[in-house]
Amino acid sequence: MILQQLAGNLVQGAVLGSVYGMATMGLSLIFGVLRVVNVGHGAFIMVGAFTSLVLFQGAHVAPVLAVPIGLLIGMGLGMVFYYTAIRKLLQGPELSSLLATFAFGVILEEVVKFLFTSDYRGFSWDLGKVDMGFTVLPYTKLVACGGSVLVALLLYLWFKKTRAGMAMRSVVEDNVGARVCGVDVNWQYALSFSLGIGLTVASGVLLTMFISVGINPYMGGEYTLKAFVIAVLGGLASPYGAFFGGLLFGLMENGSYTLFAQFPGLEPSAMTRFFAFFMLLLILLVRPTGLLKVK
Amino acid sequence: MGTGSRYLPAIPVLLAYLILFGVGLLVPGKWQLVSQIAFFCALGQAFNLFMGMTGYVNFGYVAFLGVGTYGMALPISGLADKGLGLGVIALGLILAAAMSILLSLVVGAVALRLRGAYFAIATIGVNEGFRYLIEGARIWQGSEGIIFSSHLRTLLGREAAMSLSTFWADVMVFGVAVLAAMLTLFYVRGKIGYALAAVRMDEDAAKVMGINVTKYKIIAFVTSAALAGLLGATAWAVKLTYVYPNDVFAIHYTVEAIIIVLLGGAGTLLGPIVGALVYGLCKYYLAVHLPGFQLIIFAPLIIAIIVLFPDGAVGMIRKRLAGTPLERFVV
Amino acid sequence: MSGSRGARLVCTGVALAVGLGMSSPVQAQGLPGKIVVGHTEALSGEHAKAGEQAVAALKAMVKWVNTANGGVSVGGKKVPLDYKYYDCESRKESVTSLLERLITSDKVHFLVAPYSSGLTLAGAPVAEKYGMVYLDHGGASDKIFTQGFRYVVQTIGPGSRYHVGTLDMLKKLDPGARRLALAYKDDEFARSVMDGAEEHAKKLGYEIVFKRTYPKTVSDLTPLLSDLKAARPDIVIGGGHLADGQLFTQQMADLGINVRGLSLVAAVTLPAFETALKGRAEGVMGPSHWEYGVTFSKEKSQKAGQTWTGPSQDEFVKLFKEAVGKDLTPEYHAAEAAASLLALVMGIEKANSLDPDKVRAALGALAFTSFYGGWRIDATGKQVGHDMVDAQWQGGKLKIVWPEDAATAKPVVPKPPFR
Repeated sequence: MILQQLAGNLVQGAVLGSVYGMATMGLSLIFGVLRVVNVGHGAFIMVGAFTSLVLFQGAHVAPVLAVPIGLLIGMGLGMVFYYTAIRKLLQGPELSSLLATFAFGVILEEVVKFLFTSDYRGFSWDLGKVDMGFTVLPYTKLVACGGSVLVALLLYLWFKKTRAGMAMRSVVEDNVGARVCGVDVNWQYALSFSLGIGLTVASGVLLTMFISVGINPYMGGEYTLKAFVIAVLGGLASPYGAFFGGLLFGLMENGSYTLFAQFPGLEPSAMTRFFAFFMLLLILLVRPTGLLKVK
Repeated sequence: MGTGSRYLPAIPVLLAYLILFGVGLLVPGKWQLVSQIAFFCALGQAFNLFMGMTGYVNFGYVAFLGVGTYGMALPISGLADKGLGLGVIALGLILAAAMSILLSLVVGAVALRLRGAYFAIATIGVNEGFRYLIEGARIWQGSEGIIFSSHLRTLLGREAAMSLSTFWADVMVFGVAVLAAMLTLFYVRGKIGYALAAVRMDEDAAKVMGINVTKYKIIAFVTSAALAGLLGATAWAVKLTYVYPNDVFAIHYTVEAIIIVLLGGAGTLLGPIVGALVYGLCKYYLAVHLPGFQLIIFAPLIIAIIVLFPDGAVGMIRKRLAGTPLERFVV
Repeated sequence: MSGSRGARLVCTGVALAVGLGMSSPVQAQGLPGKIVVGHTEALSGEHAKAGEQAVAALKAMVKWVNTANGGVSVGGKKVPLDYKYYDCESRKESVTSLLERLITSDKVHFLVAPYSSGLTLAGAPVAEKYGMVYLDHGGASDKIFTQGFRYVVQTIGPGSRYHVGTLDMLKKLDPGARRLALAYKDDEFARSVMDGAEEHAKKLGYEIVFKRTYPKTVSDLTPLLSDLKAARPDIVIGGGHLADGQLFTQQMADLGINVRGLSLVAAVTLPAFETALKGRAEGVMGPSHWEYGVTFSKEKSQKAGQTWTGPSQDEFVKLFKEAVGKDLTPEYHAAEAAASLLALVMGIEKANSLDPDKVRAALGALAFTSFYGGWRIDATGKQVGHDMVDAQWQGGKLKIVWPEDAATAKPVVPKPPFR
């Protein structure tokens, strides 16, 4: 019985973790290239969720098709924010860009609140489900999981195999050297920021396939915190490291439920959160730069 | 520089707090506003003590405020009927400082080994982890929190409890702010200040030069945490008389501290005061005149300020004053 | 117009004004031209949703009092109401300074607290210090009323009563269902609902097979619900707020957990619940303080010998929509705020004074019915006169199914399985 539950939680955790991972890749990319901590991260996820909601309810677009649209919207937002503020702040103190991204997040939240009110919204996209005996998985969750893996894979290939991707990678590794080799570093910055935001908004769309309810202008805060932790687990500056960090986080969070449920007097749902953050500290104690090597 | 002139920058700071305090006392109906600004001042000043001096961002800073709030809430709710009067409040302050110092030592042992963003995020982990531990293991009544308004009344009587919550708590917040400012100055102008300045420039080089980097980092970290504990005990516990874990561990307050420090100028002594004034007054008047719309105006304003004044208001003034006799008064 | 005629008009006007002022007892008593109600509400941040509803409802009610009621009768005159509100951003520090501004600069006569128990508590010391009546429209914690506050007056009912009616109903209609699961959000409010429900369930002889909470910011309930599924409950009650209630239902459907009764607090009775969940909302129930469609009316209450006040339900909905400026349906957050203002108006009229102590005393002795239902407080200010209703989604419509005398449809028990 307990083992069955544990297996179920681990499967669910892996699926959730892949979406967490996808939702963190944009954060890591932006940090890796620009050394900017995007504190408004969750607000961009929220924009993705609303993109999915509006397209589904307004034009009956399946969320899976809304992913590229989310990517484009995010890239557009990223370009706007980069050229209005981030570019000017890169030379200033590290914290000023952090504050700017926080302010972007607030602006997005408030604009969405005025467009859609602060209602909690949702939609139903039902594809049926598969009963595995020890747990039940709706196909939409599997699609979300598959979509996340696919995006991570595409990003990996883009970095490894294309000229544009390699140029961006060169900026991460040595931005002076890249400049010397004729890479237009400023353009790489703009592109990375906008791609990072694009990925984040797209992950918000994917998230609605996992959970399609509770969509609200202020829903992002929780994801910002989790994404920070996941990013560190994955080595902070590496987008696909972030993907594995997410997977690990999902497994820890869901898997430890079964453990804590054995102790009377504990609330296992809250303890799983404690466990995930506690593991972060433990990992940092052993490996001060995260679990996965930055390369 | 003589010993006396080292501490000249205290003059404008003390003057600023005196004026603020005077405004609150003399202008009718502005005391709560002034006390809210004093809270922001104290928050910025205490946060700046560590961040400004080391360049490290303690993102989980609010955890120390939260622990301090419990440090005050526990004795008030537990010892209300023992007839100890104000002694319980004194005990609460001591306990608040002690608990936040204890937590900061544990956190510091792990986090201070980390650099830059890793440090910032590890401290978030502490804050969130601690909060979920309180809720999940039902420590201090877990998410139900502690509501101790009635205990405070049993302890001191109705009138005294009321004036403690609506006046003396705010005076204590002023006290925390001044204490934080004075400690900052004392550190900046002492050995620790020079050592940490070296850390800020290049931590590895500082180590090679034989500076005990870890020791000074811990001193600043613990001091900053203790001040946060006192702030939580006064501004949240004594003033509001209740504590819910999800409310006192809200990461938003750390962001608020960063905004205040950056608006005024990181690492400056007057900066947090200026930042708190700009932040507090903007917030208040926008809430009054455009209820429901203030954030959408305030957020672009923040962006504009940091783009136009990247060093903060005081940072800019300090640059202007460089080389003039007034320089001695500004840190 | 000639100069002399104009001057004469002015003279008459002044004379009239002076004359009226002399003769009016209101002026003689030093009563103001307007009674101002001050409110600091959460219009942004966590509680923005409830705050928006409350502010619109208060605007609507002020309009009703001033037009349909002609103002507030006090000192032998009808004095109009005025309403002033600020946004505290769901933040505890902002509450005190904004309340003080309302009291000292705006010179309001009465205060309305912000939504939620925490924010209500944050403002209470200031309200008490100035001795101002402080209307609690959205702080459901029982503990607010064990603190010895003198001026806090509650309209929302205490949390411990939320699931009591639900359990009575299920016991009566489905006596075969015996295994009960409790799964609530881990906050002060939902915990008081859970404790009240647990106590009542034991009295009714239910076997409690599962009792767990989940954190406020939950984004995945799968582990908890898998655990719940293993306990094989007949009835599940729980919930806490809006987002988590939607998530709860969606993931129960995802995991294929079918039970004979499912009732969640807060989320279920809002229209957004059905919009979000479509067919999966079918048969889900929720307790509520008020729902559009409840059948409280002037005729019914007068027949029962109760005092009726305020607009009819349809009038209120119309005024609410005008106040908010869009096609938004008022929900229980709105009705609670509206009823608290009705209570205040009746309290002032009964006390025939604006003195806070007299008004507070009058409120203590007040009992009335409005479109919101009953209203009566005990000595501590806690609401004890308001009974909750239970609503259920049936064929895409929210029907009131309990208590029987307020019901608009028969409850569907047991709940049909998720589609």
